Amino acid sequence: MRHDMRSTMTAVLERNTVVREDFATEPYELPWAAEARFFVQALEADGALAFRTEISPDGLHWCPLDESEHRIDSPGLITWPVSGFGQWLRVRCTVAPGAVAKLRIYLVGKG
Amino acid sequence: MAKYNPLSRVLCFDTFDTTTHGWTELLGNYDGSGNLDTVDDHMRDFRPPQLSSCSFFDVGTHGTMSGDYALKLATRPYPGHTATGIRRLTMAGRGRVRIETHFAFKAEATVGHEAPSSVGWDGNRHPSESQFGAFTVATDICSDGGLRYHNVIRYQNTNLDGEMTNRWMYPVVPEPTPRDHVEGRFALPYAADFTAPDPADWRTFDEPLELCVNEVPTKINWHYLRWDIDTSTRSNVELQLNDRVMDMRDVPVPPYPDRYGTLDNLLNFYFSVRTHCGIRNFLFLDSVLISVEW
Repeated sequence: MRHDMRSTMTAVLERNTVVREDFATEPYELPWAAEARFFVQALEADGALAFRTEISPDGLHWCPLDESEHRIDSPGLITWPVSGFGQWLRVRCTVAPGAVAKLRIYLVGKG
Repeated sequence: MAKYNPLSRVLCFDTFDTTTHGWTELLGNYDGSGNLDTVDDHMRDFRPPQLSSCSFFDVGTHGTMSGDYALKLATRPYPGHTATGIRRLTMAGRGRVRIETHFAFKAEATVGHEAPSSVGWDGNRHPSESQFGAFTVATDICSDGGLRYHNVIRYQNTNLDGEMTNRWMYPVVPEPTPRDHVEGRFALPYAADFTAPDPADWRTFDEPLELCVNEVPTKINWHYLRWDIDTSTRSNVELQLNDRVMDMRDVPVPPYPDRYGTLDNLLNFYFSVRTHCGIRNFLFLDSVLISVEW
């Protein structure tokens, strides 16, 4: 076990995924990480999308981590930190009626 | 390392208490502008590996054979979906190559409702037993002037109809590549079997073999697997699963008919897990050891 340097890991949860309706990313387990960060890159976006961090004790049942909502309505990159989570993380995305976007979603863990 | 039986030179001993050790998601190839829309549909969503403490809804943290974390490959809950972890090496010689692991496999627990299953619950057997599709261990090797081939073994737990089969299988065709697609030979849909898409191209070997499922989807028991191949003869040699040793010398390894450039001395290994129903399937690797005789 290396104690001299922190561990970090980046997972690409969605890769050029076209979304037209609400969705949640696949459960991702980060039991070792003390902190995490989501990045959402909208390669294309026409209409509003809102993202919230959700956490789970078992990968099956989910609740919001906090009240924060992260919005994007044009191409670009947004990010937000995550701390105080349990083992599983995911992003829930609400897509406004008629909106469409092409997304890459990254999750970075650091221990 | 005493739980393994390596050959004379150890290339990798990967225990997942310290990072993913180079086991990463497999992704198909893309064009020169970094446009990921050009990745083949069947090779764009193999899911990133996770470091898992093997925690479950009923007992909490299970832990692994060696410590805190295992490498977990997890499919989407989508029929045919495959998750992969690939390790990329090259060869400094030719000869016997051995990959060993202690692994566990499971379908995701179904809580609060029943999911389709060909196995009923009787207090011993559990429906989740038939909700696990298959796991595969395979290589991608290229040598000797661009000659490329894959040694492949697959444990098929159920067929595509969800019926228990418990068979070891191998493909009789090489894996479709992005170049095959560019040259018009294949255009495979999302969740196609990327190793060999036509079920008719798979053959069984050895006898049906029942692994340790242990009655519910959240008890994981570590199985020992050892697989020997020979890169000097481009052949399979032997497979061991717990106490069963299977001779693989007659299991063919079909090469690509065309030569491949930029892959000199390629020595890749991958593990994959494929669900045959709409339930996530998991493959947990406690640790992996790759050793060679060169």
